[in-house]
Amino acid sequence: MRFLLALCITATLAQASTPSEYYLREEIPLPPGEVMEIGSIALMPEQKVAVTTRRGDLWICSGAYGDDLSKVTWTKFAQGLHEPFGMFWKAGWLYLTQRPEVSRLKDDDQDGKADTFETICSDWGINGDYHEYAFGSDPDKNGDIWVVLCLTGSFTADSDWRGWCVRITPDGKMIPTCSGIRSPGGIGFNSEGDVFYMDNQGLWNGSSSLKWLKPGSFQGNPSGNKFHKLANFPAPPEVADKSRVLTEHLKYPVFIPPAVVFPHTLVGQSPTGIACDMTDGKFGPWKNQLYVGEQCHSQVQRVCLEKVNGIYQGAVFHFLQGFEAGIIPVRLDQKAGMLFVGGSNRGWASRGTKAFTFERVKWTGKTPFEIETMTANRDGFTLNFTQPVDPATAGNPASYSMAAWTYILQQTYGSPEVDRAIPKITAATVSRDQKSVRLKISGLVRGHVHHLDSKGIKSASGAPLWHTNAYYTLNEIPK
Amino acid sequence: MIYRSLFSLCALTASAFAQDGGQLFTQHCSACHGTDGKGATGGAFPPLAGSAWVAGDADRAIKIVLHGLHGPINVAGKTYNLAMPPQGAVIPDDHIAAILTFVRSSWENQASAVNADLVKSIRAATSDRNTPWTAEEILKLHPLPFEKTALSSLISRVYQGPWSAIPDFAPLKPISVEEEHDGIISLSDSPFKESFAMVWEGTFEAPSAGDYTFLLDADDAATVTINNKPCLKIGGTGPMNGTRARRGTMTLPAGTHPFRVEYLQIKGNQGIALGWKAPASNSWKWLTDKTAPPREPIPIEAADGRPAIYRNFIAGSTARAIGFGFPGGFNISYSADNLATELVWTGKFMDGALHWVERGNGKEPPAGENVVNLSKSRALPAAAKFRGYKLDPTGNPTFSVQVGSQTLLDSWQANAVGLTRKLSISGSGKAMKILISDRLATKATTGHEYALGDKLLVTTDGAALETTEGKTTLNLDPAKPVTLTYRWK
Repeated sequence: MRFLLALCITATLAQASTPSEYYLREEIPLPPGEVMEIGSIALMPEQKVAVTTRRGDLWICSGAYGDDLSKVTWTKFAQGLHEPFGMFWKAGWLYLTQRPEVSRLKDDDQDGKADTFETICSDWGINGDYHEYAFGSDPDKNGDIWVVLCLTGSFTADSDWRGWCVRITPDGKMIPTCSGIRSPGGIGFNSEGDVFYMDNQGLWNGSSSLKWLKPGSFQGNPSGNKFHKLANFPAPPEVADKSRVLTEHLKYPVFIPPAVVFPHTLVGQSPTGIACDMTDGKFGPWKNQLYVGEQCHSQVQRVCLEKVNGIYQGAVFHFLQGFEAGIIPVRLDQKAGMLFVGGSNRGWASRGTKAFTFERVKWTGKTPFEIETMTANRDGFTLNFTQPVDPATAGNPASYSMAAWTYILQQTYGSPEVDRAIPKITAATVSRDQKSVRLKISGLVRGHVHHLDSKGIKSASGAPLWHTNAYYTLNEIPK
Repeated sequence: MIYRSLFSLCALTASAFAQDGGQLFTQHCSACHGTDGKGATGGAFPPLAGSAWVAGDADRAIKIVLHGLHGPINVAGKTYNLAMPPQGAVIPDDHIAAILTFVRSSWENQASAVNADLVKSIRAATSDRNTPWTAEEILKLHPLPFEKTALSSLISRVYQGPWSAIPDFAPLKPISVEEEHDGIISLSDSPFKESFAMVWEGTFEAPSAGDYTFLLDADDAATVTINNKPCLKIGGTGPMNGTRARRGTMTLPAGTHPFRVEYLQIKGNQGIALGWKAPASNSWKWLTDKTAPPREPIPIEAADGRPAIYRNFIAGSTARAIGFGFPGGFNISYSADNLATELVWTGKFMDGALHWVERGNGKEPPAGENVVNLSKSRALPAAAKFRGYKLDPTGNPTFSVQVGSQTLLDSWQANAVGLTRKLSISGSGKAMKILISDRLATKATTGHEYALGDKLLVTTDGAALETTEGKTTLNLDPAKPVTLTYRWK
């Protein structure tokens, strides 16, 4: 057995060390001598890019899109901000979500330095605990900024609205929107404009997950339940300890199950920022899919979503890796098809060995052979591929293997993989255009993560998959 | 085909067969502790290779894996302040045993294997624990394997008296004298909690010739003398949190050197930490039973004629503190919770060494001197809202607070001897009562000058300060802006 495992690890490492011919990752030079632990990235006019640092500086970068990155220049626009995790540019202002408030700033007298720092809303509580982070979104279609508020010490709700998502309107009102949050790492929209955040593994969160912030919903961690009354919300779900998400969801429909579980250690262990691909093909064929940063493993994952019976669910795939530090914000320029990522490993270790980084990723124009989408059927899954498949291997059920499991919903930290099942792939039917395969599976388990390994298949031209593993969270089985 | 089925077997059954401690370590632990056990990011995270924490009694390591550990911890001479999440709910007993067996026998670690039954019994015995350990807590239960310090022939003496500075010990008679065979400087030999002093004398063994660095932190005062030459000194009173720590370097030949430490506890908390680094070494060794996080100061200061801004958790103010360090060494901390400048001080502005290192846990006090706490309560009515600040062309702030239809503008800048504050109201309406202090006795001196407590003088340009029920206020008329100047006595 030890031999088999060793073989397995060697194979994984070999894959990991191959440089990508599909995506070009480049480090953007940073201002010399500065500690640039990047917490948020905003795109500005004239291809300027603003970043904030965990130390509270705001810098503006020119030349980040250029062919010659040695020509990049930086100017320091502001200092003394409180660890912002969320920034966007709108109509001459940079909007920020800082630990204590949502604010906006601008340079009124045009001397190149911000001089006007307007506080839009500071109605949530902070008490000086380092873990009381606030992550803020871009504006939604109403101009509201969605803010997810980490628990005190990531365990308790010692300050007002900890464990909640609140919306901040342009005129500074705070609307309590969802409860049940633990420790967010980032927040963003899908192509429909629905809002999602990444919650990290811990109490009442067996494995890190992409969660849908449906207004009025509960996300699983009851620590912030004490604010339901203050919010004028109905009584919160009293979730049972040592239960399962599905069990509690069926008891309490307001408890929206995580849209996509990122199995702990298998697909990262500290997911962060979210960006939706609306580039119209400028970043590859992943239309409307989400990219999710990963701090610990220094990666970016890819997520395809679908809505079944009114609930979001979908699959996560490994996508980009090898970044220089832990990735926190991800920002996709939809027009240019350029992905900017930044990050830091201060306080939380990362595979990338630098203390901080700012990088950009461009698509080379070459499409990898990959599962483009994975969608659920009544009796299995449909895989759509980026390139035609080889019918012999893709049509053979033995080319695939599947395991399914879930996690314990509990008040202790994290969970092992439990209730393991081995769904059986009984047929693999290749479509006429050879771009998709319908897997017929017996033994699908509602509520479980379904791990599909498609290691045996080849493209029509004989290429193996770039990434063979997919992890689909089956909240609902289509009727 | 055989090849393929081996792979799928491998993928599907990994968790059933994976008691390979090395693989489990890679999966669960290596992100932070490093695949080489040396701590990720070049040792930015605690090493397990060569760490006493995983040696000896396995209970210590098992408990840390089960329940996690947070706060300051000294590992192999370096202090970390991070948080390890509890793994007890994630990793089963046999996997924890396999991981710890691997850790205790890898990278030249040589400790016995850990079996799953021991993990199981410790899990059962600590089942009511639901918070991570602190280093101090777990060391009380499971001390690290003993290591002798570089001090020998160490003798401690305890003295009692109401001193406010370290006394001349020559004419004093000690209450007790003890030999410290372990070479450890510890306050545990004093029967007193307050108003006492201690002296330790012994011999420091320098293993090689070169520059030795010493680090001293204490609550309250302490001195270190080597070869009868003063090396380090901390005077006065204050906490042992790194902000008053001192370091010094001494060139020593290899061999033994007379070593003397004096310590004074005035009142409140007590503590002493004394560490040293050998020439060209990066790791601290400790001569005390307590260790001090050796902070590298990160001075935050005014530059290019503009004030520095520090928005963070400033001790003495609230969580929404906004610090301004003006050129010339005058500083304020404005609270956006209480809508007033709560602290003013002189000298250095702030040190980023707490918040800008690791997770940044805690509140950082002002780095300078003459700190005056003006107020700690809300200065304006409950409905008042903080609206941010505007910087003038040289970077001086005007804080803005909306009170109904009026906006209070509160500007601060440095002058040659202190601070100038301008208060005005935009929007017409009633006069506003502005809190000047809720805690300092206010006494009119001459003209429009008032003494605020015993350190500060405030002068108005005509407006009168009123004191009622311990609160000093100023009545601000919308038509009449007021200028106040603050200076230190």
